Amino acid sequence: MANYYDIDSILVEEEFVPVVFQKAINGVKIDESTEKGYVEQGSKTQLPFWLAHELHMRQAVSIGVPACFNQKTRLEIQADAACVDLRSRCPYFYEFGCKLAPLCDKSIGLLLAYAFRIRYKEVLHKAHTTAFAAASRFLMLLTKEETYMYEAAQSSMAAFKKWRMGGPRLQRASILGRKRKPAE
Amino acid sequence: MYARKGYELIKDLANGEKGQLQPFNEDLFNQVVDQCSQHYLELQALIRKMQEESVDVRETRNAEHYGALIHHLSLIRNKRCLMAYVHNRAEIIQSFAWKVGLELLELPEEVQEKLSLSEKNYFGKHSAALQTYMAEVGIDLNVDMVPPKDPYIKVRVLDDMGEGILLSDKTANLARHSMHFLKRTDAEQYIARGLMEELTG
Repeated sequence: MANYYDIDSILVEEEFVPVVFQKAINGVKIDESTEKGYVEQGSKTQLPFWLAHELHMRQAVSIGVPACFNQKTRLEIQADAACVDLRSRCPYFYEFGCKLAPLCDKSIGLLLAYAFRIRYKEVLHKAHTTAFAAASRFLMLLTKEETYMYEAAQSSMAAFKKWRMGGPRLQRASILGRKRKPAE
Repeated sequence: MYARKGYELIKDLANGEKGQLQPFNEDLFNQVVDQCSQHYLELQALIRKMQEESVDVRETRNAEHYGALIHHLSLIRNKRCLMAYVHNRAEIIQSFAWKVGLELLELPEEVQEKLSLSEKNYFGKHSAALQTYMAEVGIDLNVDMVPPKDPYIKVRVLDDMGEGILLSDKTANLARHSMHFLKRTDAEQYIARGLMEELTG
């Protein structure tokens, strides 16, 4: 398991996967819309990954491929990976895919490697060349991990410039947040 | 949905800017704890039902078993969310002691308001431990890591700090916008708190 306290790792596991129940289950209300407090064998629903994974290990459910890895997305990624809006599909596209691949569809791995290779180049390129104003539209397409990469590339560039030009060494502690406007 | 409240709590933490503190979400935090108790009650009810039907609770894999399992997993999930929430905040609070100041009153007011009571305690104890250790080894560990070229630096005061503030070698009137030539070790803590800025030229 990834770091127990890691926020991102918790959020990844909250992504939903389609499941089919292989066992009948009593005393739970999976679907808020119905009143019945049980689940029948063979019924379908969506569960967050953390729950689906544990139930899958005990053969209580079978996991299907979620929408963000469907055929349509695959075709789009093959066409031009750099322009696909992965964030709206799944903000943790790669991490989620890695967790999911061994459970339902091994070919997800290849898809991830292919998409990442192409988008990696694009992200680094944009991070070093694009002006901030123009970047915001591009940033909307990136997953969480790609955004971190983009920020890392930019901050290393900024650190390099600061090293070359010089500047104040001591600064307001970043954990205090942005400077508030002085009350006049 | 199961363990949904825990997720909301973490989402609340993640929505804030990275590495910065949000107000402690007491309300939601308690809701997660309540949801845990709820899961626990339902878990117990299902186990009791199994016992009444006199089936072997350890070995049987019936519908009740899987129901109890789901409640058990939801409990663990909520616990992880609660722990992560407290842990990640505690890390930020520790870094306040290292980077801003060792006394609670030295922190800006808007930061103090965001801490819960136990977090304030935690900050105080962490600072005290840090201070004891630094006194033992005889080194200030929370100053700048890079050796300065000059022990004095030029600073501008950004906020009204009052008159007659006692520095290590003099008292100074630090009015807003005034410029001073101060010992670097004196100025560092004020710069970190955003009350002064370093001037280079």
